[in-house]
Amino acid sequence: MIQKSVTIIAVAVALLAGSALGTSKAIARDYVSIVGSSTVYPFATTVAEQFGKSTKFRTPKVESTGSGGGLKLFCSGIGVSHPDISNASRRIKKSEYDTCQANGIEDIIEVKVGYDGIVLANSKKSITMKLARKDIFLALAKQVPDSKTGKLINNPYRTWKEVNPSLPDTRIEVLGPPPTSGTRDAFAELAMEGGAKTFADLTALRKARGDEVKILMDKLGIPENAYNEKGKTVFKLVAHSIREDGVYIEAGENDNLIVQKLEANPDALGIFGFSFLDQNEDKVQGSFIDGHLPTFEGISDGSYPVSRPLYFYVKKAHVSVIPGISGYLEEFTSDKAWGDEGYLADKGMIPMPDEERTKFSTDVKNLTPLVWQ
Amino acid sequence: MLQTLSSTTPPVIESGNQTKTRARVSRDDRNTAGHPFVDKPRMSCRDVNVYYGDKKAINSVSIDIAENEVLAMIGPSGCGKSTFLRCLNRMNDTIAICRVDGTIKLDDQDIYDKKIDVVPLRAQVGMVFQKPNPFPKSIYENVAYGPRIHGLADAKTELDAIVERSLIKAGLWDEVKDRLDQPGTGLSGGQQQRLCIARAIAVGPEVILMDEPCSALDPIATATIEELISELKLQYTIVIVTHNMQQAARVSQRTAYFHLGDLLEVGQTDKLFTRPSHQLTEDYITGRFG
Amino acid sequence: MSTEKTMHIVQRGLGKRYRQEKIFKLMGLSAILFSLAFLVFLFSSIFLNGYKAFYQTAVSIDIFFDPAVLEVKDPASANYNGLIKESLRNAFPEVKKRKQKKNLYGLVSTSASFHLRDMVLADPGLVGQTKTIWLLADDDVDMLMKSYIDRDLPQADRRMNDLEISWVDKLIAEGRVTSRFNIGFFTNGDSREPESAGIMGAAMGSMYMLAITLALAFPIGIGAAIYLEEFAVKNRLTDIIEVNINNLAAVPSIVFGLLGLAVFLNFFELPRSAPLVGGLVLFLMTLPTIIITGRVALQSVPPSIREAALGIGASKMQAVFHHVLPLAMPGMLTGTIIGMARALGESAPLLMIGMVAFIVDIPTGITDPATALPVQIYLWADSPERAFVERTSAAIMVLLTFLILMNGTAVYLRSKFERRW
Ligand SMILES: Nc1ncnc2c1ncn2[C@@H]1O[C@H](COP(=O)(O)OP(=O)(O)OP(=O)(O)O)[C@@H](O)[C@H]1O
Ligand SMILES: [Mg+2]
Repeated sequence: MIQKSVTIIAVAVALLAGSALGTSKAIARDYVSIVGSSTVYPFATTVAEQFGKSTKFRTPKVESTGSGGGLKLFCSGIGVSHPDISNASRRIKKSEYDTCQANGIEDIIEVKVGYDGIVLANSKKSITMKLARKDIFLALAKQVPDSKTGKLINNPYRTWKEVNPSLPDTRIEVLGPPPTSGTRDAFAELAMEGGAKTFADLTALRKARGDEVKILMDKLGIPENAYNEKGKTVFKLVAHSIREDGVYIEAGENDNLIVQKLEANPDALGIFGFSFLDQNEDKVQGSFIDGHLPTFEGISDGSYPVSRPLYFYVKKAHVSVIPGISGYLEEFTSDKAWGDEGYLADKGMIPMPDEERTKFSTDVKNLTPLVWQ
Repeated sequence: MLQTLSSTTPPVIESGNQTKTRARVSRDDRNTAGHPFVDKPRMSCRDVNVYYGDKKAINSVSIDIAENEVLAMIGPSGCGKSTFLRCLNRMNDTIAICRVDGTIKLDDQDIYDKKIDVVPLRAQVGMVFQKPNPFPKSIYENVAYGPRIHGLADAKTELDAIVERSLIKAGLWDEVKDRLDQPGTGLSGGQQQRLCIARAIAVGPEVILMDEPCSALDPIATATIEELISELKLQYTIVIVTHNMQQAARVSQRTAYFHLGDLLEVGQTDKLFTRPSHQLTEDYITGRFG
Repeated sequence: MSTEKTMHIVQRGLGKRYRQEKIFKLMGLSAILFSLAFLVFLFSSIFLNGYKAFYQTAVSIDIFFDPAVLEVKDPASANYNGLIKESLRNAFPEVKKRKQKKNLYGLVSTSASFHLRDMVLADPGLVGQTKTIWLLADDDVDMLMKSYIDRDLPQADRRMNDLEISWVDKLIAEGRVTSRFNIGFFTNGDSREPESAGIMGAAMGSMYMLAITLALAFPIGIGAAIYLEEFAVKNRLTDIIEVNINNLAAVPSIVFGLLGLAVFLNFFELPRSAPLVGGLVLFLMTLPTIIITGRVALQSVPPSIREAALGIGASKMQAVFHHVLPLAMPGMLTGTIIGMARALGESAPLLMIGMVAFIVDIPTGITDPATALPVQIYLWADSPERAFVERTSAAIMVLLTFLILMNGTAVYLRSKFERRW
């Protein structure tokens, strides 16, 4: 009897495995598949849900893979097994665009959806910090120019007062995302680079090429093995390196966790997306950066310096094949979603100015593909 | 007068008039003394060597087992009695490192021949182990299992009859007939051992191998089993390993003495115990050994 | 005389021996208390964080099912939101400003209009009537009712301003606010609105995955264990296989995710995010555990049972399947259940095969896109909305309940079927 049931199980398993592996390719997909940035994820999911619940289409599936991971999947090919839309918290890179072209994805529609601000916040129990990007760079970079010689030295600063006499005499302690995170990339690019550019030698390095780079590197005391023909690469290496001596604490990808830790430690600052500040106004406050507070208006009009545009990319070839793509696009680009008063604004996305919105919604309507200049 | 191990001469028939005084065989002689061979043997073993890995556990043993006799095997612990016994129904096959050479024949058929299937062999040569090992199933199932897998009974009534007959033969029927559906593991040690005997005889073997069947039992249970053996020998050929020399004397016709892997002496039980021919045999049975 | 001496020596050492025993017992006890304290702390903090999620605030509103709005070609796509807005305007006629109106509409969950739609589709007779209907409150109102929003803070520092709170207070005074059991949490799929987010989708995803894992891992794992333990000849090859199985059991689960991505998605082109692929990946992950525990269970069956069966002429297969396997089964089941429990709690490998995703529709088959319970927890924990915090804890409670049930089953099976020889 046992033997019999064993045989039955064995046959069932064989059938199951066989059918599972045999089902390849042919499965038609009747829902939109979206991948990409975790920053755009809260907004894309909101639109997807609205769209799914108010139409007869199935709710699009949204995966949070990060911008780079999303575009990699997106550009891997045409067909139901590849995603239709990829969200990104930065613009698509030339290399990614080329991969897309090489894999037969010729027409990509680029849609900018709004902005996201990155904030440096601390607990409401402490005073509001008034920082400049230069202060941020000096406080967090791994190597900073020596105040006398101008050569790069390991970051010596321990307190904010040492960085800038007008700042309080508290220990520098910053909780932020790990290098894998898109927020960290954007922070390095917008805040750290901005700070680094306030030093003449570094700005010169950024523009330099070839031998000039060597001279500047020598002047700054950068070891030769970091040499690259393009000065910009060397500059980025300096500006993007965040100190590893315990002053900057990697707090994981979870921004909620950072908010909780700030509450417990009033001296610490945290780096996270604007929507988390928006949801936790009672616990944490954003710091001034270059004289601007991270507010809705400030990010929208571009006066707050640490903000980035958010995008998504659509495969034109899929629009007519996968049911629901055009409906989703329509929902996303409708005023009730991405408008000034739309529900995405409620979720913390900073809407674009009217002209930009009009441009991109026309692009979507006409399915105008992106042309790389 | 000694039987040499390599002897191919026809087996010596043991007869009453061969009891004249023999020269005592010295301690160093590793050849088999006495009369290992019989006329018309049921099983015959020649030059059997058993190895566990590189270690030799049985050294060139040759012996016959006669029809309907009880052969007792005695010897100090670790001398290879169990090992040799397990060769007789190829239970040693289950030990990966164990290797057997030489010939062992059952009714002129070499049981180590490649063509031989161990399943029917073990149905023919049953085994009872030192420690009672009933299946954790009902008493009935324990006995019925063998006949069932061999397809010995076509109908339930037939199976019932086999179970009853086997339990009666094992002297257990009266004690368990009202609780056949209870677990066999719930019986006393002696009852369990008799259940194992019933289980072995239910498949109708011709030879039964018993490895110290009474070692875990009290004298009363032992007596029951000994009585049982005396009855069983009318139908079966029995090989029994025992450490109890009185037991060997009581139940067996012939006795074989093993010593460190060698078979040193085989003879009529009463003679072996009264007038052993090998010095080591004498040492052992008189308790001088070790 | 010598016994006296011996007794004396024994007596002398006795004190020390008892002392050692006592210290050891104390150490053991404190270790238990220590871990117990941590467990209690963990559970109670999860519980305290999450129990409120099982209740949900609702507000009752008089809705006029306006025929002018509803009698359109397709009643499913009528403007139900308009009905709710209209009713709210009627309830608070003093609200005039555009911005304030927007806040007013925000008192009710955006999912409320779908509720109205379902009501009308189920009973078209409602059209033209006015009904008092309980609608889900917005998550901010819910947070206020659960006192997560502090009324004493200055207006600018909280998510609801004074005006909004005064509206809620008015509704409370009229008896139009209630707290009710949150059925939706157990029956809904995921949602971006905390008040209508539920774990059903994730639970179904987990269930489909585990069903596939079990259907494959149990027979294959047990079969492999039986073969390796009972039938395989012991040689270099089987040694290598054994070492590799043990190594596989220690491989980080993310590696299996990568393997699944390469084999099932890229090579066999199975659908992304499908429980089918998740189940296959978790199957690969649990297989070594099941084989190892299966072998241990087989080893623990006394050899005398095998000999007993072989001794009366059972074939090897019969001995194994009739006697050894039934005795080893409880141990094997325990191992399987523990392996399954581990699979249930796994989220890392699912990341690689696209199951960390926002999926609203409850999966109805093994190729539908789905997530799993631990993934849902991870996604909610990472959501900005405050109301997701308590839902995260509530989802952890649900997952823990499943895990405790599964491990409980393992303990039960063990005690029920374990035999003594
Ligand atoms: N499975 C095994 N693997 C390796 N060596 C073994 C194994 N079984 C027995 N031996 C060795 O073979 C020799 C004979 O063992 P055996 O069990 O046959 O002795 P025995 O005469 O039955 O002893 P006892 O009277 O104590 O039961 C011993 O030296 C023992 O160590
Ligand atoms: Mg023995």
